[in-house]
Amino acid sequence: MSATATPTRFASELRSICGAEHVAESPTESIGVVASLLAVTPGSADEVAAILRFANEHRLNVVPAGGLTQQHTGHRPQQVDVLLYTSRLTQVEHYDPGDLTIGVGAGWTVGHLCAKVAADKLFFPGDPASPDRATIGGMLATGLYGPHRHGYGGLRDYCIGVRFVTGDGRKAKGGGRVVKNVAGYDMMKLLIGSWGTLGVITGASFKLFPAPRQTQTFVSCFATASEALEFRSRILRSPLDPICLELLSPRASALLTPGSPAAALWSVCLRAAGSDAVLARYRAELGSAVTHEIRTGNEEGFWHAVADFVPTVREQHPNSLLLSLMLPLANVAPVLDSAGAVAESAGLELSAIGRVGVGHLLIALWPAPNTGADSLNFVKAAAGLRGALPHDGCMTVLQCPEETRREVNPWAAIPTDVKSMRAVKSALDPNDVLNRGRFPL
Amino acid sequence: MTLLPASLPVLHLRCSFMSLPEVVEQLRKIAGRDAVLDRREDLMLYEYDAGIRKSMPGAVVFPQTTGQVSQIMRLASSVHLPVVARGAGTGLSGGAISQPGGIVIAFSRMNRVLEVDVENQRAVVQPGVVNLQLSEHVSHLGLYFAPDPSSQKACTIGGNVAENSGGPHTLMYGVTVNHVTGLEVVLPSGEIVHFGGKAAESCGYDMAGFFVGSEGTIGIATAITVKLLRKPEKVATLLAIFESVEDAGQTVSAITAAGITPAALEMLDGWTLRTIEAYCHAGYPLDAGAVLLIELDGLREAVEEQAEAVSAVCMQQKAREVRRAKTEEERALLWKGRKTAFGALGRVSPSYYTQDGVVPRSKIAATLQFIGEVSKKYDLIIGNIFHAGDGNMHPLILFDIRFPDQLERALAASEDILQYCIAVGGSITGEHGVGMEKRNLMPVLFTEQDLDVMVSLRNTFNRDNVLNPEKLFPTPRMCREISGPARNPVLTQEGM
Repeated sequence: MSATATPTRFASELRSICGAEHVAESPTESIGVVASLLAVTPGSADEVAAILRFANEHRLNVVPAGGLTQQHTGHRPQQVDVLLYTSRLTQVEHYDPGDLTIGVGAGWTVGHLCAKVAADKLFFPGDPASPDRATIGGMLATGLYGPHRHGYGGLRDYCIGVRFVTGDGRKAKGGGRVVKNVAGYDMMKLLIGSWGTLGVITGASFKLFPAPRQTQTFVSCFATASEALEFRSRILRSPLDPICLELLSPRASALLTPGSPAAALWSVCLRAAGSDAVLARYRAELGSAVTHEIRTGNEEGFWHAVADFVPTVREQHPNSLLLSLMLPLANVAPVLDSAGAVAESAGLELSAIGRVGVGHLLIALWPAPNTGADSLNFVKAAAGLRGALPHDGCMTVLQCPEETRREVNPWAAIPTDVKSMRAVKSALDPNDVLNRGRFPL
Repeated sequence: MTLLPASLPVLHLRCSFMSLPEVVEQLRKIAGRDAVLDRREDLMLYEYDAGIRKSMPGAVVFPQTTGQVSQIMRLASSVHLPVVARGAGTGLSGGAISQPGGIVIAFSRMNRVLEVDVENQRAVVQPGVVNLQLSEHVSHLGLYFAPDPSSQKACTIGGNVAENSGGPHTLMYGVTVNHVTGLEVVLPSGEIVHFGGKAAESCGYDMAGFFVGSEGTIGIATAITVKLLRKPEKVATLLAIFESVEDAGQTVSAITAAGITPAALEMLDGWTLRTIEAYCHAGYPLDAGAVLLIELDGLREAVEEQAEAVSAVCMQQKAREVRRAKTEEERALLWKGRKTAFGALGRVSPSYYTQDGVVPRSKIAATLQFIGEVSKKYDLIIGNIFHAGDGNMHPLILFDIRFPDQLERALAASEDILQYCIAVGGSITGEHGVGMEKRNLMPVLFTEQDLDVMVSLRNTFNRDNVLNPEKLFPTPRMCREISGPARNPVLTQEGM
């Protein structure tokens, strides 16, 4: 690879593909501390394909980029030759409110998509952090979701089609525009959560849902996590069908909703949608377990704050370890217990939230005030939690202090056969051009 | 970082030449003497599925363990003998039909529910478990398995995984892939691998999601971890009766526009419902132009409100009447009519051809009109009984296979309908898979490069195309590099 020697020559090639104004040399953005040589903003999937073919010829490392909200996750690439932005891929590919489907370019922000369909009383359930920056392509590539994961499923459930360019520059698609479609391989599944290592997503189609006419959030507080999780299990066994079911640790409540009555306790926040009669039923079923209700008006703000847990931790506790875990339901309580023990023994404070009705946890660990937690404590904590996982549990490190990067494996636990994953990578990106070094392959 | 290997190591065994009887002998050593069929009269039971194609396998083997499946795959790969996995053979697209002289791995002896994990809302099953039997197995726990193909009394979960099967209730609950979180898979090399587990999602590539619906071309699932759902508190089943299919079609869009997602929303046209009524007396009105069978489920309060709202929408859309099942027996009868439709058709026509196209929901009425024109054009009766809520059309084209020109016309009519589905933004299959029958339509739906990408994925796992060849992707003339190498020493030797 000789990119460092001739970035200017590469720049002129890229300019001929997508126009001079869409190629920047030595852009200011960096991936962690790794500077990028070039930033390019193609205007079509064909241009993306041309860029990737060029990158293959010269073995460049291309990093696809949306709103740059997730670029610090994963192994840090050794070098970034081309930062490939999707921000000009913003066409509406299809939209018929009557069909409850939409297809848009990957560069749309999630917030933009939500607002567009809300105007037709429809709902897009993707609710990642920072929706005004996070793009559709980035959300898919990193498999992001938020609190509505509980009631509406994940991206793998409502993404019905994807347009992409493979690492070796082939423009392709999977799925389509209709809500039910099993023709061909399910390329959506491969690209969702692939962290930009298989292809550059250029557009996607989604199922939409009718917007709920009214919702209500019920908060129940408990002294311990295990009581809170027992309450979760009770809800899962009941006929209730909430759209969100979120656990917040005391420190998470204090962080996200300062001054809230829940801040000293573990809380389970349940969001229900339906008529007055349906909400009355929730009230009756939950009974005295409900500590307080969050009324319409404050509700959206509360759930946005919950969705923004990760950026809030990053901002307020930059020296922290931040983990995302996906577990079988029965493992949530024991793993959370272990996290508490691990934190205590390492002199760290634990803050956790999660879609505990589907087995998801976000755990943040930061030094207790007036303690000098050093990097070893973080490394010990990460290893301790890794050891507490079941064989089919997943753990990804979203953030760790800079000095622990060498010791903490960001892809801490992956239950799927890695050799098969490698086979998929070799089929779509044989020269390892996309996001080289980022993923555990 | 080191460069990735070009592909998985696939063939470890020496490439030996073996006659078919020698292969059969090896299969008997692997699975047991009573676990292999090779006599013509036995094989005839395995030469077809529920579609219209036939092809005689060379042997059928009934493994009892994952280890045996692995050994069978190693053997087949070493002699380049094509292999197809088969559940109950209820598929409609030829997915479970062997290449002539190939090996059928039949899963009727791997039919155990390995684990029911109530706390995690999961079951782990062998591929031969019958779909409905799983729901019956966990019914006492208040749980069920949501995908419910019409063939659910017979079809297997392994087959559901291969074809990514749906059913009436996929409107709300999704197809098979939405209910599978983990898989144990035997690759063509014989290697046994695991994808995902009991967690709702896995980090790393979603290999389990990718595998479901790959129509037996990537590997063979030998253990499947599925979601179990809690049975709804309340179910309401409505029968809305219309004078015309157009009115019924418009009502489907109107229900969606009213913000209601029923659990199921099925349509039967007049001809079809009369044929069914004569067969099983489900209580369908004999003089209707079309009916919608609508099911709502969930919280009691929500179901009552939605049932009222749906009835109101139907009446606004010129329904003659909306009936509601008052008892579980009445509900079961309405569904019996829907689910035994194919049996009913068998009484009135020697053969029929079922299609599986999908259109956007707003195009249902126009598509039904087009199907009516196709029926006239080819002078064939076409019934419609389908999953209207998600636009999944199932035109049933009646013909008599003893008259070759009728088969020709049925195939041509089918292709016209699928071309129309694609033209209005839809797909050629919603739940039955591409298999043999629709693979030559794939180039209409996908570009050459789309297919090339998919084929490169197949080839990385199934390099010699031993596993379910000649399925899913078009024949070589229509798409380059589609077929695997034309090596097949056994079949060549047998003169096939």
